[in-house]
Amino acid sequence: MTAVAQARIRKRVLPSPVTGQEVVLAGVIAALWAALAVGTPAFLTAGSVQPLLVATAPVALVGVGMTIVIITGGIDVSVGGAIMVCSVLTAKALVGADVGLGAAVLLSVAAGGVLGLVNGVLIAYGRVHAIIITFGTANLFMFLGLRIFGSGTVNGIPGTLAFFGRGPDGRTLGIPHAFLITLLITAAAWWWLRHTAGGRHFFAIGGDAQAARLAGVRVQRRVLLAYVLTGLLVGLASCFVIAQGTSTLDQSVGSGKELAVIAAVVIGGTSIMGGRGSVLGTLLGALLVQTVVSGVTQLGWRSQLSDLFVGIFIIVAVGADLLRARARRNR
Amino acid sequence: MSRAVRLLLTQRIALLAVLLVVVVVTFFINDMGGYLTAPYDFDYMSASLISAVPLAMLGLAEMLVILSGRGGIDLSVGAIVSLAGMGFGFAYGEWGWPLWPAILATAGLGALLGAVNGFLVSYIGFPALIATLATFYAYKSLAIVVNDQQPISTAPVQELFTLSKSVELPLFGRYVPDVPLGIFTFLLPTVVAVWLLLARTGYGRRLYAIGTNDVAARWAGIPVRDTRFKAYVYAGLISGLVAVVTVGQFASARPDAGVSGNGMALPAITIAVLGGVAITGGIGRVAGVVLATLLIVWLNAGILLAFVGNEGSQYQLLALGAVLIFAALLNGLTNRKYGGTQ
Amino acid sequence: MTDANEVPRLRLTAISKRFGAVRAIQHADFTVRAAKVHALVGENGAGKSTMIKIVAGAETADTGEIEFDGVPVGMKDTAAAIALGIATVYQEPQLFPELTVAENIFLGREITKTGRVDWAAQNARVVELLDLLGLPERYATAEVGTLSVAEQQQVSIAKALASDAKVLILDEPSAILTDAEIEVLFGVVRRLTAAGVAVVYISHRLDELFRIADEVTVMRDGRTIGTYPIKDLTVRQIAHLMVGEELSDARPHRVVPEGPAVLELSGLTRAGKFRDVDVRVRAGEIVALYGLVGSGVSEIAACVYGIDHATSGDLRLGGASVRIRNPEHAQRLGVALLPANRKVEGMFGFQSIAFNISAGHLRLLSRFGVWVDRARERSEALRLIERLAVRTPHERQPISAMSGGNAQKVVLARQLVERPKVLVLAEPTQGVDVGAKEEIHRLITELAEEGTAVLVVTSDLPEALRIADRIQVVRGGTTTDEFGPDASQVDLLAAAAGGDR
Repeated sequence: MTAVAQARIRKRVLPSPVTGQEVVLAGVIAALWAALAVGTPAFLTAGSVQPLLVATAPVALVGVGMTIVIITGGIDVSVGGAIMVCSVLTAKALVGADVGLGAAVLLSVAAGGVLGLVNGVLIAYGRVHAIIITFGTANLFMFLGLRIFGSGTVNGIPGTLAFFGRGPDGRTLGIPHAFLITLLITAAAWWWLRHTAGGRHFFAIGGDAQAARLAGVRVQRRVLLAYVLTGLLVGLASCFVIAQGTSTLDQSVGSGKELAVIAAVVIGGTSIMGGRGSVLGTLLGALLVQTVVSGVTQLGWRSQLSDLFVGIFIIVAVGADLLRARARRNR
Repeated sequence: MSRAVRLLLTQRIALLAVLLVVVVVTFFINDMGGYLTAPYDFDYMSASLISAVPLAMLGLAEMLVILSGRGGIDLSVGAIVSLAGMGFGFAYGEWGWPLWPAILATAGLGALLGAVNGFLVSYIGFPALIATLATFYAYKSLAIVVNDQQPISTAPVQELFTLSKSVELPLFGRYVPDVPLGIFTFLLPTVVAVWLLLARTGYGRRLYAIGTNDVAARWAGIPVRDTRFKAYVYAGLISGLVAVVTVGQFASARPDAGVSGNGMALPAITIAVLGGVAITGGIGRVAGVVLATLLIVWLNAGILLAFVGNEGSQYQLLALGAVLIFAALLNGLTNRKYGGTQ
Repeated sequence: MTDANEVPRLRLTAISKRFGAVRAIQHADFTVRAAKVHALVGENGAGKSTMIKIVAGAETADTGEIEFDGVPVGMKDTAAAIALGIATVYQEPQLFPELTVAENIFLGREITKTGRVDWAAQNARVVELLDLLGLPERYATAEVGTLSVAEQQQVSIAKALASDAKVLILDEPSAILTDAEIEVLFGVVRRLTAAGVAVVYISHRLDELFRIADEVTVMRDGRTIGTYPIKDLTVRQIAHLMVGEELSDARPHRVVPEGPAVLELSGLTRAGKFRDVDVRVRAGEIVALYGLVGSGVSEIAACVYGIDHATSGDLRLGGASVRIRNPEHAQRLGVALLPANRKVEGMFGFQSIAFNISAGHLRLLSRFGVWVDRARERSEALRLIERLAVRTPHERQPISAMSGGNAQKVVLARQLVERPKVLVLAEPTQGVDVGAKEEIHRLITELAEEGTAVLVVTSDLPEALRIADRIQVVRGGTTTDEFGPDASQVDLLAAAAGGDR
């Protein structure tokens, strides 16, 4: 082979690193920010953008795991319950045992990992569809969370986790740590999914699990890993959730988060049928959703109206993808 | 012996019936031993049936869409209950419509909201999970915004509470416990209608056919899209009726009636799956969903008496999750060993 | 040439495998030698697929022994087989449309450098492989979903070759390839055997075995009948070993009544699939459309039934020009079709026989068009079970529990609930045992005798000759020559395959 040919191949070894959907999403977010900046002068200020980024972080972070899970052709509707377990456990430890930042994060992440392991084992080895198993574990996790709560709320949580919070301790050079960490993890996951054998195997499993098995991919282990990873990220995201709140944690923590995360993932262009998706899209999806929530509030509209826009965004994002796929087939 | 085990594993109805007996007998024994906070008797079981009404109805709604195959599911039923309930609140509570037209209009509104799901899934080709996730958000939002977050609890709506009253049955009513009125006015008609639809009509056959194999259905000349579309419309219609029941139960049209806490979709899907409806479509029977509802309702009712305070409602979550996972794993096992559940 | 004392590359002894109640393989022996091409033949359901799955580690044998180079091996999963150098190209391409060709080829055995995939090294190797197969090198980074079916097949072969295979299993590789592509394939196979690779070659086209195989192993009803040097056999002898009885091609000549065409296609064209198709079928006539896979013959059938739509040309039913919108419309016009792919397009798997028969005729079998008349449904099912001699204890038996032949009869029964004026049968006896095949052929003749216009779309040459009154050959997407029932197999095959064979 000629050196020229080799060079040409080296240049383009994989499809484009950024999908059309991601470009459009970035454009929509930019347009929304511009419009909001014109509509409400307070929008493009640090006092407005920083909370937006902090609020985006937990959904986007869990979204990284959820993206991988959905790429394998699965789904995890138990992350809301898992967030409840991790955050109440960690909050209680902070109040009762006076643990430090590192220990608290470790505890939360470990707890999330265990919950993810439960999901992963049941789904990978129980041969039952993920949605059913995680509907089941969602109930179990909520039970567990409520038992740990005991009754009522956890009060007087110290500011140990302020590093991830909204306050000045939670920022470096004006950028919130929670968002920065999310960004770093997303970038790492993006590279991992794109450039390592293990990462590519997730796509193969979602494309055709049986064929992947025949090709020598250890399907069950990869699937297990996807759910454990999601659990670990849920653990870290729970620390963000505690840090964002006041010193009180109530029983509604995590409620409905599974749907918010799934919404961010599908808006980001990941196919719910598996085999295709990107964590970068998920980050943009989460950012878009949070922009809408923040925008609706700042415009003085009723805050629940943001859900209507989320619904519309899902329809438009996935609908555009469907039409593109149809056009490709008819070509 | 092994035949009995096989029967239990492959016939979901048999398994549910046995579990139901086990649950009821267990609580009877606990009751006699004095371990419960209140008596678990026929009167209590009968009164607790009121919670079976929305659960079984939405379970049947989920069954219809899951049967239609291609990952059929409806996450939006709870949001439809909220939104259609607000519609009912306006029509009956604010605009002074008579009861029956208001109920019909609410069912119609539910059907319309279901039709949006059906259109997206069947004609545009959205995965059902995505389409109904989107409409869940949209309907939920509209239900809250439409009356500015306020519930509607005018006098006519409050009087609807009679719907959840228990009544004495005619003829032999003196010998059996009173039964909640909603069982007769809403649940039984729905159960009978869905059973007739699935077991006796051409539509039912077509629905099972497209759920079993929609490619073969197309080659057999069955209108696949139209059939699948209607499944979502019927699910919406049932959700609309549940909206009326829920408004009656709360004596108020609440904007978050179907989505607060865990929402209504999750338990409904759980009931359908527990009742033996295969998530891949084409398999499921009305009797299974009804038995699964009774199992969960009477299990929950017993748990409520076995614990003090809100611990009971917490253990209900545990029971629901454990029973669902148990049933799902059993399905997996049965598929491998005996080639499927009937 | 063959040393009797030489240790075979792969030896399977006394292999058995059951799936539930079905004995897929019983007591089968199979030996593969290095640098040889071993053909594995047998009718559908004879156990070939299960056999190669066991060799590839995708299924585990219940009993029996497997030796590789004389050493007993476990072969517990595909990874074990791959580790031994056993590579398989399955009938259905096991590819991932969202991944690139290079990724597909190296899936499960990526070349890595410091933890990351070494894309450049992989692509360089892929380009070599593509070169060997005669594919352009830009395919290396194309997404597989954008390639044609034949190209995807070649990617599958490249994938199998990439692992320095010692044993290469090709499961019906020629079924979807053109003649030119088959020549490329044979060239590759010869190069591989010259390099010492043992090739297991499975094919239904018996004639091509004589050009590529050294030995042939015949399977029947899950058993291996024997292994023979190919030069000792003829096509007819192999066919005889496969079916176990002498094929009888003789049949009484039928007299087709004169009359106008019931179904008439003239100049029918679907852009990109077929063009200028001319076919006429009279009442009581059986016309076969014969063409190899990929000739466009199955697309023509789909068009007559309204699954696809013609882009130009004329389709006449009973003399009137019609545009068939969908299968429902076709049924109303009196056109019925037996689909080619029984499992995917025909069967409602876990539903009963009665359900499978009444599907698509529910309006007819319902009172007021709403309520299914279950008594009538049952009597209709029983009538057709009897007429088609379906072997079953009762009409509530699930179709998935039945043999291929019986299931095919049930799907065929569905087409006969409302007596069709035009019956299109796509591959009516594919994957059907010999007995059921006879019965289905007898039934087709009976239906024609009763006045139905029958169009049989088939790639099974003996079948076309046995039942058709006229045979219309389809080649390269259009109708070419027409033959009578007395035509010779050689003439027909030559006409369908392009005249040079």
